[in-house]
Amino acid sequence: MNTSVKKLVTAVSASVALMAAGQAAAEIKIGIAGPMTGPVAQYGDMQFSGSRMAIERINAAGGVMGEELVAVEVDDVCDPKQAVTVANRLVNEGVQYVVGHLCSSSTQPASDIYEDEGILMITPASTSPEITQRGYELVFRTIGLDSMQGPVAGNYIAAQKPERVAVVHDKQQYGEGIATAVRDTLNDAGVEIAMFEGITAGDKDFSSLVTKIKQADVDYVYYGGYHPELGLILRQARQADVDAKFMGPEGVGNKDINTIAGDAAEGLLVTLPPAFDQKEENQELVAAFAEKGEDPSGPFVLPSYTAVQLIAEGIEMADSKDPFEVASALRSGTFETPIGTVQYDKAGDLKAFEFVVYEWHADGSKTPAN
Amino acid sequence: MQDLLYFFQQLINGLTIGSTYALIAIGYTMVYGIIGMINFAHGEIYMIGAYTALIAITGLATLGIAWLPLILIVALLCAVIVSSSMGWAVERIAYRPVRGRHRLIPLISAIGMSIFLQNYVHLAQGSRNIGFPALMEGSFRFGSAEGFQLSLSYMQITIFITTLVCMTILSLFISRSRIGRACRAVSQDLGMANLLGIDTNRIISATFVIGAALAAVAGLLLGMYYGSVDPLFGFIAGLKAFTAAVLGGIGSIPGAMLGGLILGVAESMTSGYLSGEYKDVVSFSLLILILLFKPTGLLGKPEVEKI
Repeated sequence: MNTSVKKLVTAVSASVALMAAGQAAAEIKIGIAGPMTGPVAQYGDMQFSGSRMAIERINAAGGVMGEELVAVEVDDVCDPKQAVTVANRLVNEGVQYVVGHLCSSSTQPASDIYEDEGILMITPASTSPEITQRGYELVFRTIGLDSMQGPVAGNYIAAQKPERVAVVHDKQQYGEGIATAVRDTLNDAGVEIAMFEGITAGDKDFSSLVTKIKQADVDYVYYGGYHPELGLILRQARQADVDAKFMGPEGVGNKDINTIAGDAAEGLLVTLPPAFDQKEENQELVAAFAEKGEDPSGPFVLPSYTAVQLIAEGIEMADSKDPFEVASALRSGTFETPIGTVQYDKAGDLKAFEFVVYEWHADGSKTPAN
Repeated sequence: MQDLLYFFQQLINGLTIGSTYALIAIGYTMVYGIIGMINFAHGEIYMIGAYTALIAITGLATLGIAWLPLILIVALLCAVIVSSSMGWAVERIAYRPVRGRHRLIPLISAIGMSIFLQNYVHLAQGSRNIGFPALMEGSFRFGSAEGFQLSLSYMQITIFITTLVCMTILSLFISRSRIGRACRAVSQDLGMANLLGIDTNRIISATFVIGAALAAVAGLLLGMYYGSVDPLFGFIAGLKAFTAAVLGGIGSIPGAMLGGLILGVAESMTSGYLSGEYKDVVSFSLLILILLFKPTGLLGKPEVEKI
């Protein structure tokens, strides 16, 4: 062999040896998959903020079975195709536990991959019921379901005794799912549904929809979907003098809707998870967030924190890192977490989770609606 | 009476969207008319115009200026200048070097430019929807207060008038000015125009610049009308405007205007009388039908094959 080939072989063997030495540091990788960019990136921020805080605090308390938790963060842009791509990436990196995804339309295809590859997944924000209806063993949630959230909204509207209600959705899994649940609840309560329509997410012009709503002369409009579209609908509706009250699910409840809709966002009704950051037991945690300059009041921050905590406690309880054993531990145990006492049913849903109706204000604050 | 007012309201909505499609469609049609190429990056130029206008308006607001006409004029100038420069740059970088090669190459180059510009704005401004401040609120109302009221907002009137003015200026420019005559000559026969001493490279650049300026105007108007901008909205608008241009006859400027209005009204009527879900289905079915029966579009000139 000539000299340059010898040098190459030496270099390669040296780096292989170094890499092998590097693996010796024990760590548990937790994948965090959510939208870092894209129209709903601020929900992703909540997810990453909560998860990172949990990982920090657990590591500071000694880690899990003596090993450190390490976050592997990936961006799915709330797009199903991108979600599948990053899920495959996490599989390749040898991640065994995932906190994610955020959007139901991303969680659904990604969970297929995780279940196939034996990876435990806990979603802190996807509320579409179909995710846990497929008999998967490794899929869990730390949030409620639209089959619970829909009736909360529907019953609230029905209790106001409106004459007519319009239901609009964005034709996506989350939006159409919850709009259908609300419509069914309203039908059961005998409320007249003047229209059930879909709009395309990403559209900007809702003038025809607003005109139609005006023509239908409804008291309430329920919108299933995310805040970019509802913000524009609110704004265009107020400009056209539509005086119906609007209501939306937790996908619209964040401050960005105020920058888009301005004053039109005043009086918007939103169903949200309860304000976990206001519970007495969580005040020390809230102070820790404040020290880092982060805001724990977003609806997905503490559920994400809880997801990481559950993974850690599940591993300790099962005394094993095998995702299937951790899953059994999660199903059989009772855990005290920032979102309350957690118990899972066979499908991977929380046994108890309530949604609360809030009234949103033009300055981004919210108050419980009565 | 109520139904009639409803119909007119949807018609007004449709004409408003249609006018904006028309403004953007002109850019597509002019470029195709001159060099036979679809400029896929045009939608992004429109989006950049909207962002520039937003930045200008925010900048003026921080300086404390509140007089509306001044804000609008400054925002318009900034948007037009930035978009025109972008249009010119896009032509020099992505299209001129590959002109004259196989048809697919400029097409792919255009798509690549479109993706590049989307992501550039995405990185520079963030991917979230940014709200446009509501500058022109209020509307005229017709009809009784108990029933359905027809509302014609000031913004809608501004859009109509601005579109009309732009169209008129453009038509006069193309038919009366020297550069306009050169544009017409180049679109008829590029080689011959070169032989006659017209600097075709300059004319082609001028075409891109004019198209981009109109897109910038559309960007400002639509940003104000809808109230939010994000890096991807140029793509959808560009697609619709391209459809409008093909509908009206690609290569024909009156065709682009007509196509835009027809598309806008079709969308609005479908949304108003059928369901919002079928809006795009109807628009594109209309396109397919027209192309089946009149392949060159409504006002397009039939391609004559010279033997």
